[in-house]
Amino acid sequence: MSDADVDALMERPEIAAIKAENFPPGIPLRGLFRNDARIVSLAPGAIAVREGDYGNSAFLVLDGTLRVILPPGLPREELGRQAPRTRGILETIARAWNRPAHPEARDLAGRAARLKPEDAARSFMFLQDIPRVLDGNRTVTLQAGDIFGELAALGRVPRSATVFAEGAARLLEMRWQGLRELRRFDPGWKRRIDENYRRNALLNHLQAHPLFAALDGETLASIAEKVKFKTYGDADWHVALKRSKGSGQENAADEPIIAAEGSRPDGIYLVRSGFARLSHAVGGGRRTVTYLGVGDQFGLAETYAAWKGGGEVRLSQSLSALGHVDVLRVPAHVLEKHVFPGLRDAPAALATERRIEEDGLVDWMVDERWINGTQTMLIDLDRCVRCDDCVRACASTHDGNPRFVRHGPVSDHWMVANACMHCQDPVCMIGCPTGAIHRHEVGGVVVINDDTCIGCGTCAASCPYDNIRLVEISDMHGAPVIDEAGKPVRKATKCDLCVGQPGGPACVRACPQDALRRTGGKDLLVHGTESAGR
Amino acid sequence: MRAMSRRAAGLWIVAAAGIVALGAWRATWRASTIDPDFLTGWILAAMVAALAIYGVRRRLPMLPLGRASVWLSVHVVVGVAAIGAYAIHVGTLWPEGAADRALALLFLAVIASGVAGHVLQAILPARLARSGPELIYERIPTEVAKLRAAAEDALVEAAGAAGHETLSSYYAQTLAWYFERPRFALSHVFGGHSAEAWERQRLAAVEKLLSADERPHLAALAELCRHKRAVDAQYALQTLLRAWTFVHVPAATAFLAMAAWHTLIIHVYAG
Repeated sequence: MSDADVDALMERPEIAAIKAENFPPGIPLRGLFRNDARIVSLAPGAIAVREGDYGNSAFLVLDGTLRVILPPGLPREELGRQAPRTRGILETIARAWNRPAHPEARDLAGRAARLKPEDAARSFMFLQDIPRVLDGNRTVTLQAGDIFGELAALGRVPRSATVFAEGAARLLEMRWQGLRELRRFDPGWKRRIDENYRRNALLNHLQAHPLFAALDGETLASIAEKVKFKTYGDADWHVALKRSKGSGQENAADEPIIAAEGSRPDGIYLVRSGFARLSHAVGGGRRTVTYLGVGDQFGLAETYAAWKGGGEVRLSQSLSALGHVDVLRVPAHVLEKHVFPGLRDAPAALATERRIEEDGLVDWMVDERWINGTQTMLIDLDRCVRCDDCVRACASTHDGNPRFVRHGPVSDHWMVANACMHCQDPVCMIGCPTGAIHRHEVGGVVVINDDTCIGCGTCAASCPYDNIRLVEISDMHGAPVIDEAGKPVRKATKCDLCVGQPGGPACVRACPQDALRRTGGKDLLVHGTESAGR
Repeated sequence: MRAMSRRAAGLWIVAAAGIVALGAWRATWRASTIDPDFLTGWILAAMVAALAIYGVRRRLPMLPLGRASVWLSVHVVVGVAAIGAYAIHVGTLWPEGAADRALALLFLAVIASGVAGHVLQAILPARLARSGPELIYERIPTEVAKLRAAAEDALVEAAGAAGHETLSSYYAQTLAWYFERPRFALSHVFGGHSAEAWERQRLAAVEKLLSADERPHLAALAELCRHKRAVDAQYALQTLLRAWTFVHVPAATAFLAMAAWHTLIIHVYAG
């Protein structure tokens, strides 16, 4: 943004109310807008954010009117979604044939062409026939001064709704890093973002949960008013995790308690983001029952039992925060009034049939936070013949450069290899100064834009699993690429899950022993239980 | 050993049925327009081509040609079935004539090394997983060098603490050999305890000669020996997992070339 734009922006009431003196010298308010924000103009019908996309920015409406399309939303085709582009067989063969002769070689001439100035100008999708869209969908109006998009930007989750310009509009688009600093140093914006964030998160979450799916909008709104929004743990959980890796210091006893074993059930807890551990006391220690992720609930069976039977019902397990977790608490009296009368069967309690000797792998998966991965590379060492066909396959699909190391932490006969896990909470994206590391629009795979990566290493330092590597690049003739200061140019590299390659991840396909799998979430715990049970 | 998958079981049944049917047809053949040697020869040639194509698939991992594990299952089953097809085609496993015997020898070498490799691949991974730190094969020499450097550091410290070089001299005479490179490969392959016994005997022999100041350094050396033993086991087992392919692949290549020559000659002289 130019200085003139920043000057004009500083005059607006939402910005003028910010006290610039609250910002540290290293993060001046004006600098924050200059570097992390830009003004975008929308023509009527232009889509500002599209449902399902991953976005790294939030918006403040400067002028004009926009509409948020409420669920069920617009059909896929109307939003301009196309089938993801996958390379054809011939293109794949040609690429393999023309592979650079040198490691980490980059086509620098091609890069210049790819970064044409006209590409920098943002292009928007347009909705056709706005009156028909408005007639056929429930919408909410956004006007000057309203904020939207912060939920996806701060929560690193997909956009929950499509927002389009009803007439001509101007927006202040702010990268999430800038939004985070505004929230951090200005109490007014913090309150505003949090209120917005909580209100939107809460409604979205309740609407999506099967327990409340049958309720009408009015009832849902009355429940939403009584729901408590709570946050536990540290947002920078990855820093503490990296520090404690392998030290065995991570365990249930040190984690912030959300609901304590032995206490009366006072409602249900819904995990909105992050992870929580379910554990119970055995002897002098604690056993991990399982973990809860986004969409999971805790306390339903006990709260229901207390309502149905009365008497002394107590929580038989504790819920504690694993790193950072956002939780919604729906009070018991709300459930008793709106939900329990409609339940046919008593909800089942969350329990485990696991034997104690099977705990080791589950504890490992939870303590080391492998559960954060959605595409964790899990290698069964009882099957792996160490042939490295997976590594060669990876290299063959990435111009001769493997994007993972067949090595990593081992528990029993399971290895979690050093390959990007495409985390549910990708902390590697925090702090990327150019936004080069981002969620791919298809499937949310975490990818790095090689052209805009400046090799600063922030992502590699943030990744608690050491799955991002910095490499020194060369030109197509093998000569090292040097910057103006005479230093070698580096790029961050990692597994991109072969996005755009025909046939999916080459590593999985290439394993002759079916020893390698990409898996995530609760499936990881299933593998652990399978192995210990044999 | 792993349990057989449903996919592999299905393949084995189909292959066995095919070979039995081919054998029965050959045994009951009397006279017809089809020459049984040509038919069984071409069936065998087709099987050999199917076996060879697995090597091609391994070299084209970027193409969506299905999972390599399915290809390997087919490769193994067709490879074993080829023994039956070969016996039906030739009538014996050891034919007459130098050229045919050379072909038979290569065929048997390919089959034997393949079966050995398959068995090793079923047995060794689990042993590797339980034999100490998981190491990338190419990094093992570096790991050994690190252990050697750590052992030599321990000796320098021991000499400094004791004021004499009993332990260093002893190391130079005995343990230096052990830390030079991976040792006791055969023992590790067969699950023996030779390395452990060798270490125990060598360390115990010198212990009585050491002062109280030197003994902690001997304990450190013993710990390094234990680590070295685990690294050696990884090296021995991973070497074996690779070694069979150095017989299988060259023998298969030579067999393919000779089989092609055999097919050509047969057709030339038959015509």
